[in-house]
Amino acid sequence: MRSFLRPLWVALLLLMVPASLAQAHGPSRQKLELSVDVAAPPAEVWGVIGNFQDMSWHPAVFSNTGEGGNDVNATRVLTLGKEGGPTISELLYKYQPEKMSYSYRITDVAVEVLPVTNYSSHLSVKPHGDGSTIEWKGAFYRGYPNNDPPPELNDEAAIAAVTGVYQAGLDALAKRFGQ
Amino acid sequence: MLAGRLTTRTLAGLLVPLAAAMVAPGAWAGDLAFITNQSSSDLSVLDLEDQREIKRLSIPGAPAGVAVDPRRQRVYVVGAESKTVSAVDMETETVVQSLTLDGGPIGAAIDPVRGRIFVSDWFTPQVWVIDADSLHLLTTLRTTSPPTGLALSMNGRFLATADRDMDRISLFDAETLAFLRDIPVGGHPFGIRFSPDGRLFSADVTDNTVTAVDPETGQTLGKVPTRERPYGVAFAQGKGFVTNQYDDSVTIFDMTSLVVLKTIDVGEYPEGIDTSSDGRFVYVTNWFSNTLSVIDATRLEVTGEIDTGDGPRAFGRFIAPAPVE
Repeated sequence: MRSFLRPLWVALLLLMVPASLAQAHGPSRQKLELSVDVAAPPAEVWGVIGNFQDMSWHPAVFSNTGEGGNDVNATRVLTLGKEGGPTISELLYKYQPEKMSYSYRITDVAVEVLPVTNYSSHLSVKPHGDGSTIEWKGAFYRGYPNNDPPPELNDEAAIAAVTGVYQAGLDALAKRFGQ
Repeated sequence: MLAGRLTTRTLAGLLVPLAAAMVAPGAWAGDLAFITNQSSSDLSVLDLEDQREIKRLSIPGAPAGVAVDPRRQRVYVVGAESKTVSAVDMETETVVQSLTLDGGPIGAAIDPVRGRIFVSDWFTPQVWVIDADSLHLLTTLRTTSPPTGLALSMNGRFLATADRDMDRISLFDAETLAFLRDIPVGGHPFGIRFSPDGRLFSADVTDNTVTAVDPETGQTLGKVPTRERPYGVAFAQGKGFVTNQYDDSVTIFDMTSLVVLKTIDVGEYPEGIDTSSDGRFVYVTNWFSNTLSVIDATRLEVTGEIDTGDGPRAFGRFIAPAPVE
């Protein structure tokens, strides 16, 4: 009974958050850094993940559309899971092909999809022996902007959700490029 | 470990308000930096002369805000999650007092002469006013929206608050605590600071600008274009230094003309920023890389990097002359 009621309760709480707080967030930013070593050289890995307009390498991404290529302020919308699935809108704010890295932030996502706010992220490839290290870093606040968050929208939930996204992506790349 | 410092406790208290201009380079035994590490929930004490961490002490509640008070030889830190203000004794490097508030305490500033600590509330448009010696709550001040950064003018006349959601600064008389006026700045001001010549500057997070205003008249004096997500401002050698959180860089501008002189790379997610007592260096905490970048304020180059705890924010004034044992 409790677990049945909880989503409704969360939805009601969210409705009570005034529109002016759309950009508001909690007081403690969270950070996360995951990496994986793969056998392929950096240029080969960057060739697959270095295009902001192509996130097909991530198993959770069903499709993506976007504008602006790899220029600063380029945008993309990721559709997750299946056609008509939930979406995440993102904006590219730093692109450094010479360093094989790019940085982007989420401009729009429902907290039911990813329980975070003010999310920014950084993806990079570095040489490691004969292969590469792929690093994925995230900075974000929990989904609930006010004091005393419900468990679905607290700091731990935010970290767990982003960890899941990064791990799935890095696992897929490890499989693709070998370790 | 702090033996051999040249200044005495009394001397430090007398000299600090006079600031760097009065002190010849080399007169200080050195500065300490007190860095709030929000992720590891502790305070790093860094010896800036030796460029190393000399102590790390546990602080409750993911601390963000910090305000050094050389006069009382104390550092006040604000634990955002536990809602506590902790007073740390600089000499013994221990928490000597604490106060729990109801709300979302985040930023802090000190009025050392009148013995008042100001703490901003992340959730409610108010500032707590706390007695610096007893840590008793004295009163609260109403702002236009929930405040973030706080600053006291160098002459002690004004208290300013960055009112995030209203894109304004509220200005108070620091003596009477009367509200004077509110001043429009850019989008979502976070770090604010008075320049040595008495103007007030805000880092406008969502506008990628720094706005300069005249606190006497409330007039906007100009804007400095920054990189992505400016967070904090500090001044040294006639220049302003701005941390660009999303750009891993510091924008340096001429304090008078507001012209951008240079942008230099620092660590990842730079946030807290402050100036050495002699004005020769600017220090920047890198929240993601867990370091403090040392910037030579004359050469405009990064000259060193010191390790901190996890998630250094150091939101406020975090540098003070080292005490004497």
